[in-house]
Amino acid sequence: MAGSGRAARQSFLGEASEQIHTASEVAIVGVCGGGSHIAQQTAHVGVGRFLLLDDDHTDDPNLNRMVGSEPKHAEDKTPKVEVIRDLILRINPKAIVRAVGGKWQDHHLLLRDCTAVFGCVDSFLAREELERYCRRFLLPYIDVGMIVTSVGDHYAISGQVVTSLPGQPCMRCIGFLTDKILADEISRYGAAGSRPQVIWPNGVLSSTAVGLFIQLLTPWHRGELPLYLEYNGNTSTLTPSRLAEGARSRPCPHFSGLQDIGDTFWAGFPENVSRGCAPWTVPKRLLNRAIAWVSGSTNRDQAAIVLR
Amino acid sequence: MVLAILAGGRGDASTSTDAARPPGCLSMNIHFRIPAKLFKELHADLSRPHPHAFERVAFLPSRPAALHGGGLLLVAHALHPVADDDYEPSTTVGALLRGAAFRKALQYAYNQPVSMFHVHRHEHKGQPRFSYVDLQESAKFVPDFWKVRPQHPHGTIVLSQNSAFGLVWYQAGRAPAPISKFTLVAHPLREVNHGGIR
Repeated sequence: MAGSGRAARQSFLGEASEQIHTASEVAIVGVCGGGSHIAQQTAHVGVGRFLLLDDDHTDDPNLNRMVGSEPKHAEDKTPKVEVIRDLILRINPKAIVRAVGGKWQDHHLLLRDCTAVFGCVDSFLAREELERYCRRFLLPYIDVGMIVTSVGDHYAISGQVVTSLPGQPCMRCIGFLTDKILADEISRYGAAGSRPQVIWPNGVLSSTAVGLFIQLLTPWHRGELPLYLEYNGNTSTLTPSRLAEGARSRPCPHFSGLQDIGDTFWAGFPENVSRGCAPWTVPKRLLNRAIAWVSGSTNRDQAAIVLR
Repeated sequence: MVLAILAGGRGDASTSTDAARPPGCLSMNIHFRIPAKLFKELHADLSRPHPHAFERVAFLPSRPAALHGGGLLLVAHALHPVADDDYEPSTTVGALLRGAAFRKALQYAYNQPVSMFHVHRHEHKGQPRFSYVDLQESAKFVPDFWKVRPQHPHGTIVLSQNSAFGLVWYQAGRAPAPISKFTLVAHPLREVNHGGIR
C-alpha cells in the first residue's frame, strides 16, 4: 500500500503504486553517466527488480559522472555493473539485481521479460539496434543521451530523452535517427575523440527519463508522454520536439509488419521447456474438477448452465 | 489441480505453487504482450452485436519468442475477426462457429508463421474463467492449428471487461499451460498477473 514507509511521500502515484513498482523490472543498458543516475533514482522510487548490462569496468575518467563510483573502483577496475548493483542494494536491500558484465547482445534474452528498457548507450547505431530489439518484443524503450560539441570558440551541451513505445512513433519517425546520421557516424568510426561527458546534464536527462517511466507505470496526470525532449545545456532547457509531436498521429511505418515482431527464427519450443510434462491423459477428470471449481458444485449440468 | 488450469500463476519456481500449474508440468513463465491499439480493436470487435449469436469470437495471430530460463513470450500481432456468416445459430452456447471460421483461421496460420489464439469475452469484471464448454471445445480445436503450424504454440484466451486469462498448448500430448502474465503495452502500462489487474 502506498503511504507506508519509504513510499509515504509518493502516495499520489496511486494506491497500488508501491506494489507496481516493486513488481517491475527495469533493464538499464549502460550504467555509467546516465544509467547510474537511473539506477539510483529507480531504486529510491522502489523499483524491485533490476537488470544491469554493461561490458566495461570503472576507470578514472568515469569518476567525474558515474554515481556511486569511488577511486577504489577505478583502482580495482571494478565492473561498472557491480558498482551500480551495490549502489542499488545500499538504497534498497530487498531489490533483486541481475548484474551482467557483458554486451547486451550476448544476454538479450534477459531483456525480453522486463517492464521497460533504459538505453544509455554511446552511439546512434547502438540506439537504433536497441530500439529495434525492444520494438520486436513490445518493450517500452526510454533513451537518454548527451553530447558536447565545439562551436567556434565555445562549447554547446545538448542531449535528449526519447520515449519509444510500441504502436507509437519510433526514433526514425520523430527524426532523431536518419540514414544520414547513421552513415555519418559510421564514417567517423574510430575517430570519436575524447567524447566529453559531465554529470549535470546526465542528471537532468536521467531524472526526466525516470519521471517518464513512473508516469508510464503509475501516471499522476492525464497528459501524454512526450516522444522526444530536446535538451539545451547552455540555456538549461528541456523542450518537447515539435517535429516529433507532429509525428504522433501518423502510424509508424518502420515497425508494423509481422516480420518486425517476435522471434524471426522461431523453430519450436526448446527441448528443456517441455521436458518433464506429463501427457494430458485425463481431460474429463480435469474438466469435471474444473467445473466444480468454477461453479462451487460438482454437478456438470448445473455448472454448464451457470457458465454459459 | 483444477486451479492449475484455471487460476494461472507466475512460472518461476520462487513464486509458483503446485496449484498454479497444469498437472505434471514443470512451471513455465508465459508472458503475453499486446499493444493497446490492438487490444482496443479486439474489444471493439467482440462488442459488435451479431444478428443471432449472443457473443463474438476473434482470433489473435501472435508471434512467439523464447524467454530466459525456458519461458515463452507471445507478442500479439493482428486481429483476425470471425465473419458474421461464420456463426451457427445456437440456443445452447453463446457462439457456435461454423467450420469456415476455423478454416479461415487455419489458412491464416498456414500462410503466416504465427501462433493462433482464439479469443472470446465474458461480460463481467475481474478475472475471467473458462467454462466447461470452453475447455472442452478448446481441447479439440486448438491442437488443430498444429496441422498447419506445428512448431508454434497455440491457445485460447478469455477476456472479461477488464482482465484476461489464457491457456497455451505448446506440445502435442501435453497439458496446456496457463499464461502467467498479460501486458497491455500502453500508457499507462497495464499488467494482469495472478488474476489481478492493475
